[in-house]
Parts: sequence; structure tokens; C-alpha cells
Amino acid sequence: MTRSGSWSHGLRMLAILALLGVAAFPLYWMFVTSMTPSSELFAPTARLVPKPSEIGVYRDAFHGTSVTTWVRNSAIVAVGTTVVSLALALFPAYALSRFRFRGMGLVGFGLFITQMLPEAMLVVPLYAIFGDLALLNTLSGLILANSAFTVPVITWILKGAIDGVPIDIEEAARVDGCSRLDIVLGVVLPLVAPTLAAAAVIAFFHGWNEYIFAQTLISDQDLRTASVGLAGFVGELSTPVHTVMAIGLMYTLPAVIFYLFVQRYVVAGMTAGSVKG
Amino acid sequence: MSKQAQAARLEGSRWTPYLFVAPVAIYLLVFQGYPLLQELILSFTSTSLLSPADHAFVGARNYSDLIGTTDFNQVLLITAIYTIACVVLSIGLGLAAALLLNGPFPGRGVARAMVTIPWAAPPVAVALIFTWMLNAQYGIFNRALRALGFAVGSENWLDNASLALPAILITTIWQIFPFASVVILAALQGVSEELRDAAVIDGADRLSVFRAVVWPTIQPSVMLLALFITIWSLRRFDLIWLMTQGGPIGATNTLVIELYRRAFVYRDLGQAAAVGMVGLSIAILVTLVYFRLTLRAERAKGQR
Repeated sequence: MTRSGSWSHGLRMLAILALLGVAAFPLYWMFVTSMTPSSELFAPTARLVPKPSEIGVYRDAFHGTSVTTWVRNSAIVAVGTTVVSLALALFPAYALSRFRFRGMGLVGFGLFITQMLPEAMLVVPLYAIFGDLALLNTLSGLILANSAFTVPVITWILKGAIDGVPIDIEEAARVDGCSRLDIVLGVVLPLVAPTLAAAAVIAFFHGWNEYIFAQTLISDQDLRTASVGLAGFVGELSTPVHTVMAIGLMYTLPAVIFYLFVQRYVVAGMTAGSVKG
Repeated sequence: MSKQAQAARLEGSRWTPYLFVAPVAIYLLVFQGYPLLQELILSFTSTSLLSPADHAFVGARNYSDLIGTTDFNQVLLITAIYTIACVVLSIGLGLAAALLLNGPFPGRGVARAMVTIPWAAPPVAVALIFTWMLNAQYGIFNRALRALGFAVGSENWLDNASLALPAILITTIWQIFPFASVVILAALQGVSEELRDAAVIDGADRLSVFRAVVWPTIQPSVMLLALFITIWSLRRFDLIWLMTQGGPIGATNTLVIELYRRAFVYRDLGQAAAVGMVGLSIAILVTLVYFRLTLRAERAKGQR
């Protein structure tokens, strides 16, 4: 390697490190803040590394607040949103990929337009509808409200993946006497599994992160999700900052760790879907 | 055999596709279509949050009360600045990150995973940590600036009318640029190595290689990305609401925040719905322009 080559290599590695620092710093800072005693948080110079003896803040957060209930509710909503979204999206995705039918353009347009509807706009009429359907204050209602936003995206991604499945495979199954239902579930579904996994992750994160519906459609304390519970602390001053950060991390870290494990599949699945789309 | 013909051969009954689409169609009509219709009707009424059942039709008054007023022009301006900045900065940073992470280097897998962390962090938690980092006395931003010798004010960034929008933008860009970089990184895999090598042998410098070989390949993905970031930025709520509630003095008041304030702070559902409809019209308009542009670009390519 020439001297200028190794120079630019060094610069590139430096730029990559800076990039990773920017990406990771806020969560690191959340951790440091949670592990810093109040006296040092408000000192003239900042503490840059966590203080191990402060680990008790996590025990206090566990016992002193409802964070375990919140995180459990968020998990239920996230898993529910994933299941409902995938179950609903598979068949229309197949239909959009494999059939040509009247009204197809309308279906595609309808799916796309949902991307433009702000949750903040729909929350008022949804509140009334939820009242009529006895869905207010239920986690299943929240799951249904969230899935309405994920189903269109997932239908689209799955359609892209099904487009890539050779039709001959389906025909062979058909000759063997399989019904259309058997084909979708037995032949197509396993072949689009990577994209399905990516779609599942997208739905899971939507349910885990969602705030405005959970804030408006749920009033029962025991059914609060972590996003709403944590939002109550933003800008609030009576709870110690390090406790709030500990709660924030207990909500954030499971999601980030889960994501780091599955991100490879998400990226691969999304690419498989979009390259052909 | 053409795709249509293959599809026709697979057709069982002509009702099968409708059977497959019907559950989702009904579901989305109930949870999105019907509420949207309700909002449209609301936007022509005078309705209070306190008694939503009684509403009087007022024609287009909710719209005429908005259009052309200084307050609403300010909302549109803030929305435009916020959206355009989100698109330009997140794609710019995402592209830079993707180019950095593209070639081989030690620890590439870990680096690619790590850079997507912000995307996986819940927006409410992001609002929480950034609000703390932007605190005037104890926030790390001002501490760092002071350490570097800058004179910083005693006001929190989010309470300062000229710093609040940049602060919201920094937070938003941090959260969304990884998505842009993942999409662009995937698109970069389609760049022809042969063409790139040929250009390098011809003596082209990096910028020319990028313009002649890389950009044409990734351009469709970047365009689609721009559309999605535009639409998502137009409807982003949690980050902005939790950090500033649209303030101070409207400095971060985008359309969605204005809509929420009118509904839940001023309790005027009719006005709120009208704001929502204006926002939706803008999103649809942007989408139509986008499809026109891509169609034209495709035609131009076809003629070449």
C-alpha cells in the first residue's frame, strides 16, 4: 500500500469511529446519567463514566415505579401487533403479487395513502369508534389501532418478496392437487421467510415504540405502556434524573439488544423485497 | 410467457383475489377509512372536544379561518423547513455513512449493526435523553461548548426560540439517518464493479466516478427514500410534542403539532380536522409530484 493509501485508510477508519460514536453516544449517556449520583449530575464538571456503586438505582426503579408493568404491556402490544399484522398482510400481499383483478389499483392506492395519515389526526375519530366497539382501555384495541398502520407497509414488503418466488414452484404444487390455501401457507410462506422475519421486526418495533394511541386510548394505570409511562417523566422535575434515565434504559435496551441480534435478517429481508419491487 | 398469462393460468376462481384482499380491506376501512371520513366531515363543522356529538355545519369556515393568516403561514413555513431539512440532512448523512461502511474493513459487521442503533431506540426515550443533553447548565452539549471556550446562554436549547428547531432537527436526524444509510448501503451493492474500475482506469477522480457510475445506480432508491422521509416528517409527532410541544412561541410548531394543539389544548375538533386535511393534501401533492418526476426520468432514460 502506498503512503497516501494508508493515510486515506487511516482517515476512513477515524471517520467510521466518529460515526459510531455519534450513533452510540446518546444511549451511553443515558447509561452514565442513570449511574451518576444527583450531587455529581449537577456539579460544574460532568462525570463521563458510570459510577458502579450507583447500581442500586435500577433496584429502586424496579420497586419504586410501575416500570415492570409498563414494559410487560409494551411487550404484549408489540407481539400482538406483530401477529395481527403478519396474519392480515400475507394474503393480500399474495393476491397483489399473483392476480390481476379489477380494483387492484385502488387497493394499492389505499395501502399507500395510509402512510400519509398522521396518527394525531385519526386519534379523535378512533376514540369514538373504540368507544362504540368497547375497545377503549384494552390492549387488544391498541394492537388493532397499531396494526392498521403496519399492515399496509408489510403487505407491500411481502408483495415484493412474493414477486421473486418463481411461479413454476406453485404450479407443480397445484398439479399435485394442493389448494390455493395450501400453496400460500405451505409453499410460498416458507420461501419468503426472511422477508417475513424483517416484516415481523418492523411491526414489533412499531408496537413497542407507539405513543399517541397508547396515551389517548388507554387510561387504566395497569394497562399503561412504557412509552406513555416514560413520557410522563420528560420535563418533569420531581423524580430524580438518574431514576428516570434508569427507567428509560430499561425500556430502550431490550429493544436495541433485540434489534442488534436480528438486524442482519431485517436488512437482508428488506433488500430481497425492495430490489425487485 | 408473460406475467399476466401466467397469472391467468393460476387463476382458480375469479373471486379468489377478492377473498384474499377482503379482510384487510374491511379492517383498513374500519380503522383508517372511516376515521378519515369522519375527520373530513368534522373539518366542515364547529365541534368541541367537550361535546363531540353536537356539531353545527359551518361550511368552509374552518379552512378560511386558517388560510392566509400569519399564524398558519408560520406553521406551514416551520413544517416546510423541518421537512426539507430532515430529507436533505438525513439523506446526506446517510449517504456519507453508507459510503464509509461500504468497502471492506476490519469489524465491518459490528460497525454496520452499531450504526443502526438510533433507529432501534424508541422515540420517547430519544426525546428524554436529548432533552437532558440539551439542558442549559447540566446538558452535555453546553458543557462541551463551554469546555471549548464558547460563551453559552443560560437558557435550555429547547426553550430558546432560535435554537429549538435546530435542536429538534439534530434529534430527528440522529434518529432517522441510520434508516437512510441502510437503504443506500443496500442500493450501493448494485453498483457495477466493472464500470467503476473502468472509470478509475480512465483516470476519473472520486467525484466523477460517483457522479458517472455510483449515483445513477442508487438514484431511484434515494428518490424513494426522499419521498418516504418527506411523508414521515410531515406526520412526525412524538419527538416534537414531547420535547417542545411546538414552542417556544411556535418555533417548532409543525402541522401535526398544530393539529394536536387545536384538538386537545383548544378543544376545537373542527379546526383541528381542517389543519389535518391541509396536511394530508400537502402529502398527497408531494407524492403526485414525486411519481410525475420519476415517470419522466424513466421515460428520459428509455429514450436515450
